Amino acid sequence: MADRMKLDILTPRGAKREGIDVPGVELPGLLGELGVLPEHVPFVTAVKPGVVRFRQGNESVRLAVGAGFLEVTDAGRVVLLCERALEPGEIDKEAARARLSEVEAELRQYTGPISAATFRDLDQERTWLQAQLRCAD
Amino acid sequence: MANLKELRLRIATIKNTRKITAAMSQIASARLRRAQNALMAARPYGERMHEVMQSLVAGIDPAERKAAHPLLEERPVGRVLIIALTADRGLCGGFNSNINRTTARLLEAERKAGRKAVLMAVGRKAQAYFKHYGEDMSGRIHPAPEDKTVVELGKAIASSAMELFTTKDESRRVDRVVLLYNHFVSVLTQEPRELQLLPLSPGEGKGPSREPTFEPDRGSILEHLVPVAVESLIQQAMFNSVAAEIAARRVAMDSATDNASGLIADLTLEYNRERQAAITTELMEIIGGAEALKG
Repeated sequence: MADRMKLDILTPRGAKREGIDVPGVELPGLLGELGVLPEHVPFVTAVKPGVVRFRQGNESVRLAVGAGFLEVTDAGRVVLLCERALEPGEIDKEAARARLSEVEAELRQYTGPISAATFRDLDQERTWLQAQLRCAD
Repeated sequence: MANLKELRLRIATIKNTRKITAAMSQIASARLRRAQNALMAARPYGERMHEVMQSLVAGIDPAERKAAHPLLEERPVGRVLIIALTADRGLCGGFNSNINRTTARLLEAERKAGRKAVLMAVGRKAQAYFKHYGEDMSGRIHPAPEDKTVVELGKAIASSAMELFTTKDESRRVDRVVLLYNHFVSVLTQEPRELQLLPLSPGEGKGPSREPTFEPDRGSILEHLVPVAVESLIQQAMFNSVAAEIAARRVAMDSATDNASGLIADLTLEYNRERQAAITTELMEIIGGAEALKG
């Protein structure tokens, strides 16, 4: 049984990782944390903003990712499509923390319907900022 | 002598213009590399996203698509939204006018066919062009994309198009959304293309040989994926448009520089001829004067 699989992390701003060999990957699925190991059956699932973890070489890597999808192809390749991804070194913790408290204050004052676009945008931004902070800590 | 001075002035003016066009071409070359890199970097994401969408949607019977996701619903078309994607600035050859002309033709064709057509203008050039023709674009005007703003702007445009497609308000609702943009074929060629955004369709091409499992289920994945797939289509088109604009500008400025060089060569020749003619006339006068004195 193969003990490695190929992993791609793609964003609209470019590939964060392409075709690297990893023994497995852990990521924030819609229904909770999930891990994918080599030779997984082909499947597609949605990913919410959070932290992706995997080992690259001898290093363990953490990336903050935005909402997106995970696809395991027929060939066993694992492709993570996310709207954005940041390395811990790229995260500006101070700015993220400041923006998070702003967003949370706005959300507390929010009185409109939950289905409205503004609420959804704020909520998404909040989870993305929280993901960045979790990844950087 | 007046003619000589005029020629000298014209040569100087054209030399100045050539400096400007040459500088603009150099700026475009530098920006082109960045835009092309951004386009290449975005491509794998866009292609995978499209494939995932295909594998999800192709398996659904067209009759059931509406129930699967509102953005997949094929309705009889009463109103079309046309999105014209142009640049904010000119001096880039046929880049803007190609899109404006194609858009105007499409608007006319839709209206002739008895459908209503509304326009969304992205970029100042489309906005100015259609404002001149009295097209109503209120609330549907966006700035042109740049390589840094593509992702966010793509989202904004996608969300306003999706809102128009799904709204309950019959007087505003559109049943089809198309995007007209310049596809970056190569540095020398840009091709105006028409892309249907909504209803989102899996398009040509077969689905996957084996249907993957969907976790938790197809419905909840569709709910997340469909809007993102629409955004991704717009973003891909924008990355193409940004690169195509800069490429078009570089080509236009290169040929303007060449033209200026040609003009300068012609005018310099003419100037030298005039100068020589003036000298010859003067000499003839002097010789004539000397001959007269001798006599």
